[in-house]
Amino acid sequence: MNQATNNEILKIENLKKYFRIGKDKRGPIFVRAVDGVNLNIKFGETLGLVGESGSGKSTIAYTVVGMYRPTSGQILFKDKKIGMEAAKRPLSLKREIQIVFQDPGSSLNPRQTIEQILTLPLRLHTQTPKRQLREKMVELLEKMELSPDYLYKSPPSIGGGEKQMVAIARALAPNPSLIVLDEPTSALDVSVQAKIINKLMDLQKELNLTYLFITHDLSLMRNIAKRIAIMYLGKLCELADAVTFFEKPLHPYTQMLISSVPAISEEEENLKPKKVVSIGEIPSPVNIPSGCSFHLRCPYKMPICSEVDPEMIEVFSGHIVRCHLFSKPENE
Amino acid sequence: METKENVLLNIKDLHVWYRVYGGYLKVLNGVHLMVREGERVGLVGETGCGKTTTMKSILQILPPGDFHIPQGQIFYKGQDVLKMSFGELQRLRSREIAMIFQDPTAALNPVFTIGAQIGDVIKYSIALEEKKVHKEKIKTLSARALKEAYLPDPERMLVNYPLQLSGGMRQRVCIAMSISSKRNLLIADEPGTSLDVTIQDQILRLLKEIVEKKGTSIILITHSLGVAREMTDRIYVMYAGTIVETAPAKTLFKNPLHPYTKGLFASVPKISGGGIAKGIPGRIPDYLNPPSGCRFHPRCEHASQICMEKPPQLFEIEKDHSVACYLAQR
Amino acid sequence: MRNSNQFNNAIAISLAKPKSIFWTNLGRNWFKFSRNALSILGLVIVLGIIISAILAPWVTPYPEHAGPFVDFDNAGQPPSLGHLFGTDNFGRDVLTRIIFSFRGALIMAIVVLALAVPPGVLLGLIAGYFQGTWIDTVIMRITDIFLAVPPLILALAIASVLEPNLMNAMIAVTVMWWPWYTRLVYGMASSVKNEYFVIAAELTGASKFHIIFREILPNCLSPVFTKMALDVGWVILIGASLSFVGLGEQPPTPALGQMVSDGARYMPTFWWMTVFPALAIVLTILGFNLTGDGIRDMLETRMG
Repeated sequence: MNQATNNEILKIENLKKYFRIGKDKRGPIFVRAVDGVNLNIKFGETLGLVGESGSGKSTIAYTVVGMYRPTSGQILFKDKKIGMEAAKRPLSLKREIQIVFQDPGSSLNPRQTIEQILTLPLRLHTQTPKRQLREKMVELLEKMELSPDYLYKSPPSIGGGEKQMVAIARALAPNPSLIVLDEPTSALDVSVQAKIINKLMDLQKELNLTYLFITHDLSLMRNIAKRIAIMYLGKLCELADAVTFFEKPLHPYTQMLISSVPAISEEEENLKPKKVVSIGEIPSPVNIPSGCSFHLRCPYKMPICSEVDPEMIEVFSGHIVRCHLFSKPENE
Repeated sequence: METKENVLLNIKDLHVWYRVYGGYLKVLNGVHLMVREGERVGLVGETGCGKTTTMKSILQILPPGDFHIPQGQIFYKGQDVLKMSFGELQRLRSREIAMIFQDPTAALNPVFTIGAQIGDVIKYSIALEEKKVHKEKIKTLSARALKEAYLPDPERMLVNYPLQLSGGMRQRVCIAMSISSKRNLLIADEPGTSLDVTIQDQILRLLKEIVEKKGTSIILITHSLGVAREMTDRIYVMYAGTIVETAPAKTLFKNPLHPYTKGLFASVPKISGGGIAKGIPGRIPDYLNPPSGCRFHPRCEHASQICMEKPPQLFEIEKDHSVACYLAQR
Repeated sequence: MRNSNQFNNAIAISLAKPKSIFWTNLGRNWFKFSRNALSILGLVIVLGIIISAILAPWVTPYPEHAGPFVDFDNAGQPPSLGHLFGTDNFGRDVLTRIIFSFRGALIMAIVVLALAVPPGVLLGLIAGYFQGTWIDTVIMRITDIFLAVPPLILALAIASVLEPNLMNAMIAVTVMWWPWYTRLVYGMASSVKNEYFVIAAELTGASKFHIIFREILPNCLSPVFTKMALDVGWVILIGASLSFVGLGEQPPTPALGQMVSDGARYMPTFWWMTVFPALAIVLTILGFNLTGDGIRDMLETRMG
């Protein structure tokens, strides 16, 4: 996976983020939210990051954006180190990386008008003179197919889908290069989701944006991501391009996730590659099982799985897995 | 699947209005829904279509001051719920129908043990017949209910508090509460939606097993067509307070007729890829001033003059498959 | 390419909107307020008090009785048609003096709140935003100290050190009133600061000033307004307590507490001299409490 450096907009190298939540006799207790993740995103692509609760996907997103400082490891944006909190980042960096949160109800200030919400990024990051601010905002709203009178509305009076459109408009206002989307449509109905996803795809083509798209919805991922990475309890399990991911998933957790997706037709059901029935609870990230963290729920468990944590192996070109089923016995 | 002709629940032309500044929100505009004994019915619709209002009307748990039912009837075993006395309603809620709410964390009281909460449910459902119920009997029944929901170590679970459990386990507790005594109808409001997808899968399988084993009828409310397909025999599709289409599950998925249903199907991302459809243009109507005629007509590309004038009634197109649409009726 | 004319039209149309939004909001708020009949009752009482206080010289039967006036021939008259609430020991009409005393009471409420609320809110905001740091500790511990002293004792202590008059009474009450607002806003600000919209503003580079005053503050104001409405009644009560012991408004200017204490000597024979002023105090607090409840219903449903 060694590509020319200038092809990748974001490089995450051995990122770890631990949260300290107290201590006991043996020392401080940590939640290992992200535990050694390597991930690259190419210019203009959509990288899908999939996982359930405790997987660490949101933590990665928040660290990239600057809400958290990495415990160790580094993040390179356009080849520059950016692993610090937002407060310490230069303004130009804050302009380039934007985020859209999951719940539009709490990511927009309910006591402001949309005009006020959009004014902030425009004022900070663009040199738009005051007289032209409104014009610029109406332009943004039109891009999201919202009429100009939305400027005077307040978030509580508009629907969830429209709120999310406003959140996206806010993210677009400063002309970013990378947008992190943390489950942007999980709280929305499927017809509204379709509208928003289509809009996001159109915008990506038009403005040459790169997306780090986080979700738990696999069928959504299938249709919008170029490559998909799946996470479990802070570590990467599998990374592959979207088609291969669904045709030949290698990791048992991936297979379990795909099997759990409610299929909408017989054909869809038959497209699922391998039926792995979901069993067991997702362990709490405070109490991560030893060895391979998935071993307690894995139907293919071997003795080594509870002792040794597997390494990431590139099984095919561009397709890496972290599982003892594929580990080469002696080397690596 | 052969279902008996015994109709358990029959909602007829239900209208429900909600008082706000400026008038009434005409939330439900003629809902028809029927559940037979042992049948698994799905109610599919998006946010704001009125599914929860409908369910709450069945159990009469809508806040009384603000809600107004101008017309309609809800027949349960032949008796109109809207005309029931308080005692009859209590019997309905404690012995006949159980509701499993969407968010298990909100449905369980954090300051009482699991045992206390299930115990209450059992107590009220038995108390109508037996004057005094022994604590031991309640405890046995509670543990048994938890076991049927596949909760580990039921005896110990009784003294746990909800916050000590994971989301999936809390949902199982809610399910256990609903099956702790014999019920004829379960209403499950978006079960597992707030949980991870692998856990949701387990919950849905549990519900399926329970319903099959006990022969209970179930109304499954969901916004996910995939879930409805896996879990139900017959589906009602709801839009803006009206039932727009109803058919046996297999038929609906093979041959959706209503433009809204078709739009929904198109919007669902498919495992086979192929991108995502454009969704359905427009937005859900303002219930204060709903569209005249068919409530879907502003968003429908096939809308014609009559669609704007008269609301279409459910019309049987083929066996058991009814649509409320002039286009389909031609 | 866009037709610039269409564009300007769009802007023109959209600019006309704010006025109609204002009236719609007003109507909606009135609807929420008026759901409860008691709130309307409270509003009627409050408006009655305010209007009669403003128009006192013109609506009272004997306006001159509120100043230096004696008429010993008419002293101690029980309630009658000429004097609805009777006369006091100086022959002054009780009803007139009650209405005039509303003036001082309302002025005190307005001034105290105007002086106490802004600093209280500001301190609470800052402490809440900087929660966990030394700023928070310093501000909140000082607040705690003020809250620990029994309110009436503090007011009495201050008022007795200074010369007894209305202004000094107001100063005394202000000093003990601001901490409640700091507490209130501190709780709200420290939770609002963790909301995603605040984080979004921080991530995009907003200044601390913007975050505190444009993002957090507007979300803390609803309970502040509700509390202010309720507080009017309580400030008036504290003011009456002060004038009961002779601090605050000095005779011959009437004050409710002063009237209660003067008339207490003549109980129970000349009961009207104490009872009516006391009822006036009760009515005032009741009115503002009911109105405050209505304001809470109006404001706080929006947040939910």
